[in-house]
Amino acid sequence: MTRLLLGRLVQAALVALVVGGLCFALVRVLPGDAAFRIAADRYGPDALTAQAAEAVRQELGLDRPWPELLLRWFGELAQGHLGNSLVSGEPVSEELASQLGPSLWLAASALVLSLLIGLPLGLVSGLRAGSGLDRLALIGAVALRALPPFVLGLVLMLVFSIRLEWLPPAGYGTWREMALPSLTLALGLAAVSSRVARDAVAAVGATTYYRFARLKGLPERAVLVRHGLRNAAIPVITYLGLQAVYLIEGVVVVESLFAYPGIGHALVHAVIARDVPMVQGAALVMGLMFVLLNLGVDLLCRLLDPRLGAGR
Amino acid sequence: MLFVPRPRRAVLRGLIGLAGLLALAPAAGAAEGRSAPERALTVVGPWEVGGLDPASNGHAFTRLQVAETLVGVDAAGAPAPGLATGWTVAPDGLTWHFLLRSGVRFHDGSPLTAGIAAESLRRARANVGPLSRVPIATISAEDGAVVVVLQRPFALLPAFLANHTTIILAPASYEPSGRVVRIIGTGPYCAVTVAPPLRIELERFEDWWGGRPAIARARYLAVGQGETRALMAESGEADVVVSILPVSLARLRRNPKLAVQTVTPPRTRLLKLNAGSPLFSDPRARRALSLALDRTGLAKVLLRNPGLGADQLFPPAVSGWHAEGLPPLTRDLAQARLLLAQAGWRPGTDGILERDGRRFAATLRTYSAWPELPPLAAAIQAQAREVGIDLAVSIGNTSDIPARHRDGSLDLGLVSRSFAMIPDPLGTMLQDFGLDGGDWGAMNWSSAETASLLDRLAVLADPAEREPLQRRLAEILQAELPVIPVTWAELAVVANRRVAGVRADPLERSYGLAEMRWGTP
Amino acid sequence: MMLQMQDLAGTTPPRSDPWPISRRIGLGLLALLAAFALLGPVLVTADPARQDLSASLAPIGSDFLLGADHYGRSMLARLAYGARLSFGMALLTMLSAAAPGLLLGVLAAWRGGVTERALVALSDIVLALPGLLLVLLLLAFAPGHFLPLYLGLSLSLWVEFFRVARTTTARLLVEPRIEASRLLGFGTFYILRHQVLPEIAPLLLTLASFAMGTAILAISTLSAISVGLQPPTPELGSMIVELLPYYDEAPLTVLMPGILIFLLVLGLQLTARGGTVR
Repeated sequence: MTRLLLGRLVQAALVALVVGGLCFALVRVLPGDAAFRIAADRYGPDALTAQAAEAVRQELGLDRPWPELLLRWFGELAQGHLGNSLVSGEPVSEELASQLGPSLWLAASALVLSLLIGLPLGLVSGLRAGSGLDRLALIGAVALRALPPFVLGLVLMLVFSIRLEWLPPAGYGTWREMALPSLTLALGLAAVSSRVARDAVAAVGATTYYRFARLKGLPERAVLVRHGLRNAAIPVITYLGLQAVYLIEGVVVVESLFAYPGIGHALVHAVIARDVPMVQGAALVMGLMFVLLNLGVDLLCRLLDPRLGAGR
Repeated sequence: MLFVPRPRRAVLRGLIGLAGLLALAPAAGAAEGRSAPERALTVVGPWEVGGLDPASNGHAFTRLQVAETLVGVDAAGAPAPGLATGWTVAPDGLTWHFLLRSGVRFHDGSPLTAGIAAESLRRARANVGPLSRVPIATISAEDGAVVVVLQRPFALLPAFLANHTTIILAPASYEPSGRVVRIIGTGPYCAVTVAPPLRIELERFEDWWGGRPAIARARYLAVGQGETRALMAESGEADVVVSILPVSLARLRRNPKLAVQTVTPPRTRLLKLNAGSPLFSDPRARRALSLALDRTGLAKVLLRNPGLGADQLFPPAVSGWHAEGLPPLTRDLAQARLLLAQAGWRPGTDGILERDGRRFAATLRTYSAWPELPPLAAAIQAQAREVGIDLAVSIGNTSDIPARHRDGSLDLGLVSRSFAMIPDPLGTMLQDFGLDGGDWGAMNWSSAETASLLDRLAVLADPAEREPLQRRLAEILQAELPVIPVTWAELAVVANRRVAGVRADPLERSYGLAEMRWGTP
Repeated sequence: MMLQMQDLAGTTPPRSDPWPISRRIGLGLLALLAAFALLGPVLVTADPARQDLSASLAPIGSDFLLGADHYGRSMLARLAYGARLSFGMALLTMLSAAAPGLLLGVLAAWRGGVTERALVALSDIVLALPGLLLVLLLLAFAPGHFLPLYLGLSLSLWVEFFRVARTTTARLLVEPRIEASRLLGFGTFYILRHQVLPEIAPLLLTLASFAMGTAILAISTLSAISVGLQPPTPELGSMIVELLPYYDEAPLTVLMPGILIFLLVLGLQLTARGGTVR
């Protein structure tokens, strides 16, 4: 256990180094004049002038040598600072904090919803593989995955906000505003996780030991819990570990459709505006969240199948 | 945090960390928590809340009437009293006195003085913004008046003082370094919460000099997607929605719960050409490209209003600048081909024009900050092709246009130009068509006559004296086409019928919250 | 769930008809789509970029067989060219993500030790870099071009295959029958091919078919934030974005590219699951 944690700690440090360095390098070598980009984001399309861009260049010292800038960032990181946003001048940590909260809420509720929808559906389809229900679930999953999230979101808005008038189409603050974006994300997630669960359950159901256990005369439920669920859970959890990251970063379009403040939005904005500290900060936070999530997935897989830990 | 089989200490610590972050989420409905007798008026618009700096985000605070400027604007777009009740200018045209309104208080209760107003203006002048382009020598305070001394006469000073970057803020708004840390203005609403990038919460300011506003609480929500804004209006979630996509308008007009208003702002979508490039240095080539455009078709299909095809730079609503009777820009493919042939271009094997072995191929750059620009660009691309001009469309960042203007690498850009940043369009014309061209205007094109016209206009205040000069300017631009007007714009404001007193402002200066009241739907 | 005795006799998974009806339907669908994508552009004479503003949003069956988009461009032509481009690109992206993902995943599980740790560390770092960021940054070098788009998508998709292949293989390798085969001296390649691959194949194929859908949708997501391909390129994902504002007036036209993507993923799914599991 200690080794696992230590390993993850090393990974976290590595991620910080690579993410910080890589983001910096990439953003630096991108074509386009950063001062103009930053000025465009600050002053908007109507008020942007070359004079404003020059003022930005002077203020931020963008023409200083890059090793100095990168070293300064790592130096500040070591002391726990993420620097200041080039666009707003506010500390990156403050800007991220105000967007990370809503993002995590959205991600968590979407994950829970997707589990509530996807897992039971996957289990039942897997146990009754080939049945009408299985087929229907497949078509539903494929249809959900064939629609881009913003189309799905729009459909949900039309149904729940316009027809039924139950939920607001956009905004944030309470659970009501969060319901539609998280459902949009959850349906997309459940589409895949239900299929992964279904395949895993069906595969477990086809294995010898499972059949043997059934033959021994154990009741179906006991067999399912003792053998089926345990083994089926591993790929599902592994997959959700990946999906959780998708949730945090892949939600840009959902965030913008539902006018929900989130970190995906912040990241895209920062890349477009060439706001290096914001890109570094946002990527770093996402990277570290990923490490944390991975730890959770590892622990959970190990609990489900102790043999996995024995080899390492 | 979803999978917590057996909490181990490390996991626990991680969870506590996460919980801490979650706690930083904007307090869920801080305003809703108080048992409020009345709903907050919800205004939805496309513009994100950037921060507090007036130079970058002053427009949010003037539109929501949190902060005010010395000079306001009347219905016709002319400078009108704001925080200054009037102004006088010395005969030399250099010394201006702006008489301050008396009895005005800031949201923190402190009184507005001439010294405070002068200080705010000095900060605005030192920042990037239109005021930094005005030839100002000094800004000082005299009893009850702000005194501005100019280096040379400049009649547009009042219009520049109506720009949102010149809002007057209380001294407590600034931290010692000069950075704005809160917005303490004089307007009818105080900003209770400013939560970038999407939300501002407002409360009525009881002591506003203009009287007590009818609606007690309001909030602004930034919603970037046009489809979502329309749905916010339809669902009744929003009370006032600013800027609606043309495709949604017809549907919203049929909705009995909503009232739709449209106005024509002084804004033109235009092609900015590099008149120094071998492709467009010949005025005939510019005219040919203009003749290839089906403006009515573009306006009808993409903007859903055929009347928005720009047959000259200014729309009819901009009085004094729209030149009545000017020969309109129209579509005439035969004439376009003829002009191109006269300029030496011959169709190649693939139908694209060639001259001395060079194809008539250019990159049309535009940006997505305005959602209508990329579709317009795609349509212009197809229309240019019909006369043998090959345009590659590149959709990038707003900054590409001025940056490439500066380094000379722009061929052609499709831009949306507002002439309302300074309420007098001359403010923008000076920036765009001077001798060196402008970031958003002419490029490698200059005309001595235009420059002298602009110089003379800058010192004239009388509309009657300005009128003939403005007309001559319009004629030159129409004939020379340093920029090719494509379409004008339309601003749609949709209000739920439970709100009364909503007025669409073509200059996009104010949402007019203070004039709104709850009515019976 | 009737249990049959003969299933218990062998150690291999139950065999059944390799051509069940679902697989046949799936293959049929894929064949149709391939024909549309490959032959469509040849047979349809209309130019997918040719605009006719007077025919904006023309209905199905008018002058245009499948109607016209908002610029009055033939939807049939655009769908055919779009299918060729999108399916081709999705296939390429999926293959270049699945092949290294699968190989490295099995390798990591089989070799264990340093190899596994190094590969896992690599995949974790790639995964920790938000995929969107990767694509955005790569795209910034050549806005609107295919190569960076494709590279970025493959680079962020392979990890998914790697992780699933590795965990599933690791789980299989500790099973008694495979441990027994290893002890009995069966060759590495033999065990992988005959005992590991058949077991992880259905899972990977499911992932692969979704990955192709994901690739197309990723392009549409990128178009939605205006960093997709250049107009007037017909591409299914960006067509959805372009047409979306007209959802109220021409809902069917908006759905058409989505239906093609749906049929593709459905065909792949039906083919993938075929006869492997009962």
